[in-house]
Amino acid sequence: MPDWQELVRRRLSGLALDARGTEEVHAELAAHLEEAYETFCKQGLPEREAVDRTMEQVSDWRELQAKILIARSGDSMRKRMQQLWIPGFLTLILSTVFLMTLQEVFGVKPRMVGIAPGTILFYAPWLTGLPFVGALGAYLSSRAGGSRSTMMLASVFPALSLAAAFLLMFPIGMIIEQVTKNDLSFGVVATTLLSNWIGWIAVPGAELLAGGLVAQLFFGRTCSSRDATSSSETTHA
Amino acid sequence: MIGAGIKRGTAELAVLSLLQEGPLHGYELARRIERQTNGALRFTLAALYPMLYRMEQQRWIRGSWETSANGRKRRCYRLTPVGKKKLAPLQREWEELFGALQRLTKAAHA
Repeated sequence: MPDWQELVRRRLSGLALDARGTEEVHAELAAHLEEAYETFCKQGLPEREAVDRTMEQVSDWRELQAKILIARSGDSMRKRMQQLWIPGFLTLILSTVFLMTLQEVFGVKPRMVGIAPGTILFYAPWLTGLPFVGALGAYLSSRAGGSRSTMMLASVFPALSLAAAFLLMFPIGMIIEQVTKNDLSFGVVATTLLSNWIGWIAVPGAELLAGGLVAQLFFGRTCSSRDATSSSETTHA
Repeated sequence: MIGAGIKRGTAELAVLSLLQEGPLHGYELARRIERQTNGALRFTLAALYPMLYRMEQQRWIRGSWETSANGRKRRCYRLTPVGKKKLAPLQREWEELFGALQRLTKAAHA
């Protein structure tokens, strides 16, 4: 008997869905072909003919691949939105609003560590609250069916956004300095960047990640057991 | 007025009508359609799954992996409340088309 799973995987190798979606499609179509082949065999067809008749189910694999992609791509985009972008942006907004509230409403002052220009600012109450924000991002991602890695990305989304902004600011700053001929010592720039990196990205990122990991511990397990329950159900004959 | 997508609609009608009776996996769905229409309607794998995925995307049906009594894992499709709502107008549309064609052929024979 042919390895239908391998056959489908090879014929639909260009199926550009997320890993889980691709695996699902491969498994489902392989199961269909396998069942069709077994039916032909039960009807008394020789193996070769049964394989040929089964393969007649698909005349053009490339066309099938394109059709599946069109049918499922909207689904994939919607899932990505629900599993990553919405929880991620919510985490970013919450962490920003939380910090602004602490600064503007409660007048919280940062704790300064180090000597200028390498001073690192720490908002202790903000950092204390960040694990909860990270946990919320991971939880929302999990509820939408996000994988463990997506849950982690959603929880550390604010730190990643800020890191991207930093990376963008660095070359722009260099260009501005060249244009304005405002030559700053490399040591000063590097120290400032490093201290900001630690204070605004590394430490908050670690706090968010800690919350995300705890959420994953609870909600990741719930998802697995839910999947197992679903799989153990028996279907009609 | 009969919609332009009647051809696709009849295929969708066949799937929704069968799923109304209970959950089915793709192969069984194709087999039952063929058997219950005496072979008049046949779905190959290439025709069936893009349609099932599209209907799932529209939330008319929902697929979930289940293990059958013989230990095989199959993706079973169920009708959703949205799909149930979609079924009634599709049935009306089809009956309208069928009735119109009957009237037309009777008039041609008269």
